Amino acid sequence: MFYKVLDGVKVIEYGNLISAPFCAKIFADMGAEVIKIEQPCCGDDSRRMEPFMNDIPGLERSGLFQYLNMNKKGITLNPETATGRKILLQLLKGADVFIENNPPKRMKALKLDYARVKQVNLRIVMTSITPFGQTGPYKDYKSSELINAHMGGVGYDSVREVDISREPIKAPAHIFGFQAGLSAATATVAAVFQQSVTGEGTYLDVSEQESIIQNMHSVFRYYYNKQIVNRTDVLDRAPAHILPCKDGYIHHANMEESEWWRFVDLMGNPEWAKNELFADYTLRSQYWDALKPLILDWTKDHTMDEIYRGSQERGSAIGALYTAKDMLSDRQMAARGFFVEADHPEIGKLQYPGVPYRFSGIPKEQPSTAPLLGQNNEEILCGDLGYTKKDLVKFREAGVI
Amino acid sequence: MSSAFLKGVRVLAMTQVWAGGWMGGILADMGAEVIKVESNKKIDILRRTIETQGDLNRGPNFNGYNRGTKSCNLNLKKPEGVELFKKLVKISDVVIENLAPKGMPGFGLDYDILKQVKPDIIMVSVPGFGSTGPDKNYISYAATVQSIGGLEASFGYPGGEPSTPSIFMADPVGGMYGVLGVCSAVYYHHKTGKGQHVELAQSEAIMSLLPESVMEYEMTGRIRPRLGNRDEIMAPHGCYPCKGNDTWVAIAVSDDEEWQALCRVMGNPEWSKAARFSDRFSRWQNQDELNKLIAGWTRSFTHYEVMHQLQKAGVPSGASLSTEEMNHDPHVKERGALIEMTGQKVGKTLTWRSPWKSALTGSNPASPYFGEHNNYVFNTLLGLSDSEIKKLIREEVIY
Repeated sequence: MFYKVLDGVKVIEYGNLISAPFCAKIFADMGAEVIKIEQPCCGDDSRRMEPFMNDIPGLERSGLFQYLNMNKKGITLNPETATGRKILLQLLKGADVFIENNPPKRMKALKLDYARVKQVNLRIVMTSITPFGQTGPYKDYKSSELINAHMGGVGYDSVREVDISREPIKAPAHIFGFQAGLSAATATVAAVFQQSVTGEGTYLDVSEQESIIQNMHSVFRYYYNKQIVNRTDVLDRAPAHILPCKDGYIHHANMEESEWWRFVDLMGNPEWAKNELFADYTLRSQYWDALKPLILDWTKDHTMDEIYRGSQERGSAIGALYTAKDMLSDRQMAARGFFVEADHPEIGKLQYPGVPYRFSGIPKEQPSTAPLLGQNNEEILCGDLGYTKKDLVKFREAGVI
Repeated sequence: MSSAFLKGVRVLAMTQVWAGGWMGGILADMGAEVIKVESNKKIDILRRTIETQGDLNRGPNFNGYNRGTKSCNLNLKKPEGVELFKKLVKISDVVIENLAPKGMPGFGLDYDILKQVKPDIIMVSVPGFGSTGPDKNYISYAATVQSIGGLEASFGYPGGEPSTPSIFMADPVGGMYGVLGVCSAVYYHHKTGKGQHVELAQSEAIMSLLPESVMEYEMTGRIRPRLGNRDEIMAPHGCYPCKGNDTWVAIAVSDDEEWQALCRVMGNPEWSKAARFSDRFSRWQNQDELNKLIAGWTRSFTHYEVMHQLQKAGVPSGASLSTEEMNHDPHVKERGALIEMTGQKVGKTLTWRSPWKSALTGSNPASPYFGEHNNYVFNTLLGLSDSEIKKLIREEVIY
């Protein structure tokens, strides 16, 4: 873990891919004991997803899986068998939190829906994360990161300089699956607080689509700007854009008038900046097509670092489009110790992204790497639940673990 | 709200703009009493956006974010204002803030001072780049934070330049982590009696949701390319044009079974039987051609028609919804995901509720007028008399 904030909280994760595993990771990072349940055959699907260490695929070699499952314990279990289900219910009986992201139909078929889980543990907090939630006409629709992004409105709303002959695109990687996991973890921690105060459990129905809707500023402007029908309706022609420079890109984000003039100062106060067509924000927006090449003529000779730091040190808001390489060598991230090293038995020492928060009253600890497939079977099934080693052999032969 | 997660938790909010107001709205949804401290000395810019036409109570973004909170006025440039703030700290559990890192210390209200006022106070700060480190004072608009956080470099069409996004995730993501900080610190306080300062960097918050690029660089030495709608192995995996102007549908096929179902719905066209589309790898390799052929089929239908037909056949598909369409979508409606706020002063505003449903989740769509709860805060909570309050208003302390 990183910080023992949720020390003593016991979590069972029956999740796959991004949203539920990330939700449970947040608990593990905060010191809860998280037991991850994986299919005996092959484990979490993210074990088979890129990137792989040295481009050699393998169940213990996926960077995505490794990050998502740090600080957890892992067991294999097949709840489709009666014995597997019985073991899962035994685990849930002693747990505070149950996190899952299976299709609602599947949880009902496995008799693991909240109504059944509550029968073995009345005070449990159960969190289900699904693309469209547990109710409504789309609740059983199949989905994915791409589908969620577009159904959540951020595809249509995504890009500022739109050519509407081109398709709307989604934000990179699995950011919305992660965001849903974060939203779910936040609500679940709140429910755990409530559980510790009153002793009562609760069920949380988290919708990935609704988690994505949180990013939509255009929702608020809906009644003020009736024409939000086409993608071009959400565009504003503000001179705040991504621009190429010598070795990458910068995001020119000046919002205050003073910030623009500090940026002009950084450019060496060129003669063209005095042109009355560029005198204020509205005019610079209106004449952006004339202004842009003048700025580009200067940025092409300057590096990302020169422009980013030069502007920021003058009090002008400009960002640099960092790639992984830039992040790993950034002085601010280094000073704050964001990236953390962990040593994995199969893939060795690597830097992992850490956690963005710092708790002043709790010491930061070293994280542990993700569990190997079935790594904690004996510890949990024999140690916690009292099965014998011989039972484990039979469970394995019977496809239970 | 009679039952809620954070019932009985009082939060003082020194918040501004997006991430801060957003935290207050979520905490209020969770049942906390959130009191936003505002001043004429520096009015939240979301109360002054262009749509408001000068009315502080009509900011759509302000009202959308700050739903369910209370507002009081306090001028922290005056020593009496700072003293009143400390009195509020004494009767609160949590202080949240997203000012620049020098903001709270500038008022003489940093954590060490708040701790003297109330030893077990919880303070949660959500600055752009963190409250420590050499770049902590850099200007942190969402655009600067999410460019440093790595979101923007990988946002764009395959093979193209990075696109300027019009969605800003640094605020909702940083804000949600801030709420997580509040909830976990409140839990820790319940168990141990101890308060503390929780701070986070929004730039790191974004990075924590995009680990693939860092892991790829470390494991293979490669910089992750921009992929638009594409997947690493799935194909077809894209957004296709539909009948009508600028309408689109997303389709994501993960295996042979879904591919065959897609072909069936398209009427098994001759091209779909070609060897170059016969397995996952060949479909992925020939996706540009595949996408054009599929677009030829989707063009005959609306995005909803494609979605429903494909979903019925078991193929993941979804319409690319505009805000307008989302507001009328039967599923979004039935879930109550969007809420209409109405009020004589605030006007009609659309907002969303927190993205979870539970018997313990509330949602109070009212948003506070500027200083609406001065009487409640200074009279009911702090016990000041009417004449004392009038005097403080005259002296521009309650201001």
